[in-house]
Amino acid sequence: MKTAHIQRLGFHPLFWWVWAVLTSGVVLVLDKTEISLAAIASCLLLASRFKSSTYWRSSFKWILRLALIAFAFRMLIGFTIGVPMPGQVVFTLPQIQLPELLVGIRLGGPVTEQRLLLTLNEAALLAALILIFALANSLSNPHSLLKVLPRRFYGIGLASVIATSVAPQAARSISRVKAAKRLRGQSGSGLQSWKRIALPVLEDSLERSIDLAASLESRGYGYFPNTTRYRAPSWKMRDSLGVSGPAYLLIAIFIAGSISPWLIGALFLFLTLTPVVA
Amino acid sequence: MIHFSKVSLIYPNSQRTIIEDVSFEVNEGEFVLLIGHTGAGKSSVLRLINGLVPHHTGGILSGSISVAGRSTATLKPGELADVVGIVGQNPANTFVSDIVEDEIAFSLETLGIAPEVMRKRVEEVLDLLALTALRRKNISELSGGEQQRVAIAAALVTNPKVLLLDEPTSALDPIAAEEVLSILHRLVHDLGLTVVLSEHRLERVIQFVDRIILIHGDGSLALGTAEEVMRSSPIAPPLVELARALKMPTIPLSIREFRKLAPKIEVADNPEIIDSISTGEVLLSINELSAAYQDSQGAYALSKINLEIRAGEIVALMGRNGAGKTTLLKCAVGLAPITSGSVRVSGNNPAALEGPELIRNVGYVPQEPTDLLYGQSILEECALADKDNKVAEGSTLAIYKSLMQIPDLNSHPRDVSEGQRLGLALSIILSAQPPLIVLDEPTRGLDYQAKKTLIQVLKGVAKKEGRAVLISTHDVELVAEVADRVIFLADGELIADGSTSQVLNASPAFAPQVAKALPHTNWTTVNEAERYLNAEK
Repeated sequence: MKTAHIQRLGFHPLFWWVWAVLTSGVVLVLDKTEISLAAIASCLLLASRFKSSTYWRSSFKWILRLALIAFAFRMLIGFTIGVPMPGQVVFTLPQIQLPELLVGIRLGGPVTEQRLLLTLNEAALLAALILIFALANSLSNPHSLLKVLPRRFYGIGLASVIATSVAPQAARSISRVKAAKRLRGQSGSGLQSWKRIALPVLEDSLERSIDLAASLESRGYGYFPNTTRYRAPSWKMRDSLGVSGPAYLLIAIFIAGSISPWLIGALFLFLTLTPVVA
Repeated sequence: MIHFSKVSLIYPNSQRTIIEDVSFEVNEGEFVLLIGHTGAGKSSVLRLINGLVPHHTGGILSGSISVAGRSTATLKPGELADVVGIVGQNPANTFVSDIVEDEIAFSLETLGIAPEVMRKRVEEVLDLLALTALRRKNISELSGGEQQRVAIAAALVTNPKVLLLDEPTSALDPIAAEEVLSILHRLVHDLGLTVVLSEHRLERVIQFVDRIILIHGDGSLALGTAEEVMRSSPIAPPLVELARALKMPTIPLSIREFRKLAPKIEVADNPEIIDSISTGEVLLSINELSAAYQDSQGAYALSKINLEIRAGEIVALMGRNGAGKTTLLKCAVGLAPITSGSVRVSGNNPAALEGPELIRNVGYVPQEPTDLLYGQSILEECALADKDNKVAEGSTLAIYKSLMQIPDLNSHPRDVSEGQRLGLALSIILSAQPPLIVLDEPTRGLDYQAKKTLIQVLKGVAKKEGRAVLISTHDVELVAEVADRVIFLADGELIADGSTSQVLNASPAFAPQVAKALPHTNWTTVNEAERYLNAEK
């Protein structure tokens, strides 16, 4: 019951973007593995809390996969390439001898505890940032930015809308193209099959973007100096309440300096979930 | 109102001029229809009027065009937004808001209309297009016809002098199309709005329009009153073709006019309708099927559908937008989940068929045939299909060649005409030789010529041993020509199943033009009438 209530009321078009900026601010400032993992957890929790059937919502699961790939890739790179690091050796990879010129850099070789932790930290941060913005992207209507951005500048409005609608539109096309692929009697997955999906999906998104641009252009978007509002989306109490968690956290960090990372992690998880309460 | 003076248009990287040295004028309060074969340049001419061509799409333009005294050469489309409103081919792609009311107000917001005025205008236009009940609805939950009306409202709310519409009824069922067109008719008559629209399905619009612009496709165009152009136009609705076949001195544009002018036709022996029940093998059997299905377009449901399709049949699936046609087709090919009941294609459950097994049992051409295509050229596409379907090299191309005149083999599948693209998708399906072929809304965007080709192709397919075709469509004229049997869906339930003439002629909205024009003859197509008239001689 409550879900329907929340969806009908909805947040301000910029709400999730503000939340994302504040939350990613906290993650970046602290730069701790525990915080990054907590951020990932809160994104997943929020994604499961705010379910809806709108097409832009479905992009989250695709970006989640992308984040996993990014995480794995970053780990792999971290393990295999870089300058040697001191510490206890956890495991050893076969090392490839590099030419004299690249002195100090190694490929493969022993992976120390320090390297392991550093890589995990960076990979988790990367995945957390991807997910935070993916969440914002998948929870707000990509077109709603048009309503709140200054309308004097046609290019900026259009560019931001196209940028934020790429992922949702691609997610929508993917399911259609995958169905069509099945109809053509292909079951395989793999690089070749992804190439076959990617091309129609890209063409589809491009076509939609062009249609949208033409529509905006012919409706005079960005051409008239004074624009008015029919029903301006207003920033309400619940919007403020929703972003208050990460905002206070960010302030607290600047004041307090360092606290135990696990404590902050728990606090973080708790405070980034304020949209649920709001 | 609209003034073209010595206008020529050519797109870069194209050998063909769209229009060459064309001059014409459209007066205030006129209802003008643009016709032409697919790819002749209807959309281009339409978009020339508000400057989207060439400002938005590129292209080399010479001559001058002015709308309401303003030249499009120097003004961008946005600067003409207060005098010209345009409704594109896919309104769903052009919406910028979630809520109906906000979408309509958006056009006013960009023009900087004062909020009090805005309220009033939005209210007026909601009334005008009968959208008041839907004002707070989410646009994505609306049916195709309702979305079309929202798009028209959003274009009209700025009080433009000219309204341009690109194939406004192509996605609509006959009833929704009728609604949209009668609203346009009223706007022209009551408000003195100038309307220019392009459309393939002339039978739906021709009775409403004052003048027709026929784009030949070789750079020239013909302009005249609807009757003048229809006298010799190669593109004509069934009613006009019937009048030509009957050698009537004046060409009627509406059923009413036809009945007034038509000579008495005595049909000596009214041919008994023989229900030719096919006795072929059962290819599709649907038993007590119920399904609830939700996608980005909305929620659909089917309840307790029973259906059998046998070899040798061409079955048409009809019904209003949102009645569940696509869902039924998707269930038949195992793409949509089933709640209860069963679907069997040649005895197999389509949802359980893996990979090439599916296409060997049933071939499905979706609403957007491009979904099936991913090659970079027609040649590559056909070669891929040969490999996928494990047939001899070149067989898909051979099928394609046998279906229709095919375009340059190196052209990209997205660049060829809609008819050719549909043909390509169909050839890919056919090369796997499935006994059952399913097509979803195949005539959207097809001109009469392409439709004729499609009809021949489908008839040829069904004639082959042990094959059947199931088509979902809004196009009553296609159904009259091609189908043996019609199934009617309403709100997820099967409400009629019978021979084409029985089902179609029983419904005033879905009856084809010939049946309406000559109700006592039992004819549904011009061909039938011609055959009879020739036999008389």
